[in-house]
Amino acid sequence: MLDESGGHENVGARWRPTTFLLALPSLAVLVGLGFIPLALMATWSFWSFDPDTYWIKPAWSLASYAALLEDGRATVFLRTAGLAALTTAVSTLLAVPAATVVGLMSGPRRAALLLALFTIPFFTSGLVRAFAWRLVLGRHGVVNNALVSLGIVQTPVEWLLFSDFAVVLGMVAAYLPFAIIPIVLAFARIEHSVIRASLDLGAGFWTMFSTIVLPLVMPGIVAGFLFVFVVAVGTSMEVQLLGGAGASSISIMINDVLRVVNFPLAFAIATVVVTLLIVLITVANRALRLSRLFESLGI
Amino acid sequence: MSFDSIVTGRTSGGRLLFSAIAALCLTIMYAPVLYLLLASLNPDAQLGLVPPSRYSLTWYLALLEDRRLAGALEESALVGLGTAALATPIGLSAALAYRAMTRMRGIFLLVVLSAMLVPGTMEGLGLSAALRVVGLTPSWVTITIGHLLWTLPFAAVVSLIGLSAVKPSTIAAARDLGAGPMRAFVDITLPLMRANLISSFVFAFLLSLNEHARAYYLVGRQNTLPLYMFGAMNSGASPTIYAFSGAVIVISIAVVAVVFAGLAGQRSEGRDERQPRPADRGHTS
Repeated sequence: MLDESGGHENVGARWRPTTFLLALPSLAVLVGLGFIPLALMATWSFWSFDPDTYWIKPAWSLASYAALLEDGRATVFLRTAGLAALTTAVSTLLAVPAATVVGLMSGPRRAALLLALFTIPFFTSGLVRAFAWRLVLGRHGVVNNALVSLGIVQTPVEWLLFSDFAVVLGMVAAYLPFAIIPIVLAFARIEHSVIRASLDLGAGFWTMFSTIVLPLVMPGIVAGFLFVFVVAVGTSMEVQLLGGAGASSISIMINDVLRVVNFPLAFAIATVVVTLLIVLITVANRALRLSRLFESLGI
Repeated sequence: MSFDSIVTGRTSGGRLLFSAIAALCLTIMYAPVLYLLLASLNPDAQLGLVPPSRYSLTWYLALLEDRRLAGALEESALVGLGTAALATPIGLSAALAYRAMTRMRGIFLLVVLSAMLVPGTMEGLGLSAALRVVGLTPSWVTITIGHLLWTLPFAAVVSLIGLSAVKPSTIAAARDLGAGPMRAFVDITLPLMRANLISSFVFAFLLSLNEHARAYYLVGRQNTLPLYMFGAMNSGASPTIYAFSGAVIVISIAVVAVVFAGLAGQRSEGRDERQPRPADRGHTS
């Protein structure tokens, strides 16, 4: 791969074919392994199950899409979207102040340290982080033990674990990096003089924050919002490890459908989710030009 | 470059409130894992904390005898190294292409980053179906393919950040002095990007090592670590799973911390190089 990345282009766009060659491997991966499989999946969601091969056959049908509304599947869709939206809202409410501490209220050293601390969990096992909440929130976990020994409650609180509360808490804790980092990137694009000027002219902190900072970091907030929502809609492990008995999510529903080898229905569920997410992301990108966020990285 | 925070004066409670929320974020991100780590040092079969004098590595030593774990570790290492070895050069290549582009840069970047915005379950499902039709048997190869898609956007961004530290004028100077494009790339660009390329490799490896949703659909006979762990977590956990979780977390955090320290070191080094010292300027003018 390195052979073809000659770096000719660093001097200027003299030799167009090189640019194309350099772009080719990543485009091949994204298109060949990303777009095409998703498009095939969308197509196959209109095919039918083939009992002879235990796979699918090209008999066009809308049966899978009709089945989306059966067996309480619509409820699972709405519940997943609801929990994801709640997770996203809480994450954003926490992330804006946290990112402000990094972007506005810390010197360079502390900002770098805080940013590292907010980023590191992203590279650790989400499974372990979800599992750890079981020990903390369980009937005899730290929280319940503390509540009982402080006399706040008489018996352990049951709804802490295996509940929607636990699922949302687990997801918020897991996906905070997705919410915080884009806002920090947005802060890097703010001219410091603008903030100093507003403070010099007598604006109080809250006036400055709401009229200058919030509008300027809005693309970061929306980007973080989207990232968190996307992963929260798609995840299954928090629901499986922390959710109550019978709790479901779209991903768990897909796995259940696959267990009875109903491939077209699984494809239909996934296709609907991906399509809705694409619409959501496109609208947000149109409105806020999210790709500009990366300019603050100097790229 | 200021060495103070931007907002310094009175904040009508803003600083206090925001710092408290930042502390709350760090607490929910780190406290449960810290508790798990301490609990994993408890030698008793019953879960809970013990005084530090009784800390023991009993369960960590028990890990060494777990054969299924060894198999999963081997599979994950294979997939992680394969993923990182592919994602790093392809990400670098994408970054170089982005740098060289004059038109359609925004679209190219969006395409490269798009894989971040598809949930793992849907991506894994689609990919497994497509690979099945192509006739590829599920194995470490199929997981590696899925993880390449997942890690490539991150590898490309890390390379882009590194490339932004390589000034076009430096390359132009090398070219003026007679270096061919390949020579300039190998002698100037690559060394300046060294820390970023290492981070790119390590991040891709860690992201692959801890990825669960895609691997679930693409796995062959041999489980990867997260799949093995998920099974163990849901089947009346033996204390070894705490030790194992603890080991995974400690190793991941240590590796990322080292990489971050290396990146920070390179950045301050790079800043010294890029900013002409006043003395130099005096000589030339």
